[in-house]
Amino acid sequence: MSSKNRDKTEISRRDFLGLASLWAAVLPAIAFLGGMFRMVKPNVRYEESTRFKIGTVENFPVGITKKLEDKKVFIFSTDEGLHAISSICTHLGCIVNITEWGFQCPCHGSRYNQNGKVIAGPAPRNLSWHEISQDIDGSLVIDAAKDVPPGTIFKLKA
Amino acid sequence: MLNRFYLWVLFLSSLVLIAYTVFVTYQEITPEWKKYQVEYKELLIKEAKDENIRKKVKAMDIKLQQIYLGVLNKVDRCTSCHMGVENPLMVNEKVPFKQHRGDYLKNHPVEIFGCTVCHYGQGRAPNRKEAHGIGRDTYWDYPIMNLEYIQTSCALCHDLTFLKDRGGEKVVAGERLFRQKGCMGCHKLEGVGGVLGKSLDGIGSQPIAYFPMRYVKGEKTVAQWIREHEEEPRRVVPDSQMRVDVTPEEADFLTTYIMSLRSEEIPRKLRRLTGAKMPEEIKDEGESLYKMYCIACHGNGKASVFDEAFKRTIPAIKNPAFLKVADDKFIRENMSEGRAGTQMTAWKAAAAGLTEQQIEKIIKYITKDRPKERPVPFGFALFKVNINHGEEIFKSRCVACHGENGEGGVGLNLRNPVVQKADPEFLTITVRDGREGTAMISFGSKDGGLTSQDIADVVGYVRTLSKKKYKSH
Repeated sequence: MSSKNRDKTEISRRDFLGLASLWAAVLPAIAFLGGMFRMVKPNVRYEESTRFKIGTVENFPVGITKKLEDKKVFIFSTDEGLHAISSICTHLGCIVNITEWGFQCPCHGSRYNQNGKVIAGPAPRNLSWHEISQDIDGSLVIDAAKDVPPGTIFKLKA
Repeated sequence: MLNRFYLWVLFLSSLVLIAYTVFVTYQEITPEWKKYQVEYKELLIKEAKDENIRKKVKAMDIKLQQIYLGVLNKVDRCTSCHMGVENPLMVNEKVPFKQHRGDYLKNHPVEIFGCTVCHYGQGRAPNRKEAHGIGRDTYWDYPIMNLEYIQTSCALCHDLTFLKDRGGEKVVAGERLFRQKGCMGCHKLEGVGGVLGKSLDGIGSQPIAYFPMRYVKGEKTVAQWIREHEEEPRRVVPDSQMRVDVTPEEADFLTTYIMSLRSEEIPRKLRRLTGAKMPEEIKDEGESLYKMYCIACHGNGKASVFDEAFKRTIPAIKNPAFLKVADDKFIRENMSEGRAGTQMTAWKAAAAGLTEQQIEKIIKYITKDRPKERPVPFGFALFKVNINHGEEIFKSRCVACHGENGEGGVGLNLRNPVVQKADPEFLTITVRDGREGTAMISFGSKDGGLTSQDIADVVGYVRTLSKKKYKSH
């Protein structure tokens, strides 16, 4: 009776060895599985970053408009500050041109006003506004993956 | 019992596995760059001017940094450790946080050019050893470039005319030396040049494995190899025939220029070449052509010299005594066709690549000091040649310098086609009058002691040498 009791409450030496071995095998297995799932998300991808630097504040005197062909974005510098509008037409992805009244897509005639709002043509959505921020080294950074509501102006500090 | 034994084996090996897992996990979560990024972040927090910036710094992610260079088809991850390259606050910090020196990054934004396009190294590697590619076990062809030679990279995209006063001084000085030392007498560059040495096109882009480092004393780098090879050719390449004489400073300049001869093509969009390669006066003048192609062997051309590596005497081609007898046609033939059996290269367009006009210019330069008076004609055709008598004289008077079989020694190789096909009149005059400034004395004079008949006989014999068999050893 007493021996039966002991079996229930305490682990026998043989059982201990067995269990310890089992756990010692399971632990690395869990660690390696974890490592494998960690690999699903790479640290960096072999592709263009959506964040890019556009220079410092000095590069954008008030009144200037810059078209970054590679990055497909327009940057406007006004009295209030900077804003960046995507130059990709929301219809089929052509690059829109700047006109007196806003933007005009050369492919299917979509028109946008100066804030990127659709005013004519087949475009389904307004042009998106990208986030502008300032990096710690003082340079301005645009993140094309982060859109901001139209009218958001990045305030320049003197 | 056996069961228990296996359990022990499982248990112990699992312990080893756990230890290994812990080790790997630790390595994985503490890569080398993380340490630097944490340090950089602390540095920024310390230097931050106001609360706003401090907040931004604190929000900064610690992660592997990458510059994707679409146009160059590269990725550089150097900024994972070299975090402050673009940050003006880091101007006085230590490497790797230090800001890039000069204002080079202003016109060459890191976003577009990256780092390895100028500095070499392995841009994708996430640790220092592999990224710098130093050491044989990194198996990377282009280790990071020594800053001493970094301006060679400028020449990838800029002309030397442009670089002259914009940080490319060493390349420009090296280019001038390259022409003045006559490197192209043996080394081809863009299809023009001699054939004794290797073509130097793209040598700066050749993988480090192409350069045997066994005899290199200094750092085992391509630049150091080239430099030591210039200073002591036969120490670095034991059977080299290279004739070169440079001061340490000149070697530095030349190495810089040679390292700038690369084969990489930077996309048109990023480079600024106009095609004006040479920064100064051009070069199609007789004198500069002579320097480019002839001076390495012939020197100033006034005195003939015995070369230990060539194992023969290099003739004095600007010596008036030589010019007196050698007419333009003879020199032209020697230059265009070379001298078979010697180191003299055939310089015609189809071989070493000089145009006829260039050869004429060089001839004009060489023969500038040709004496006005022509030599007294010998009249070889008038003599009846006794070849046997000629052989006797040859054996007693000529073999000391020209060799038992005319194969040359201190004197020229008389068996070579140029001598064999030369006008006998020219040969007889040379024997009679000698060649001033060389060991060839005037055999027709009183000291020489040969009669005109003797000279005709010996020349007659020399002209039969090519028909005799001779094995060189």
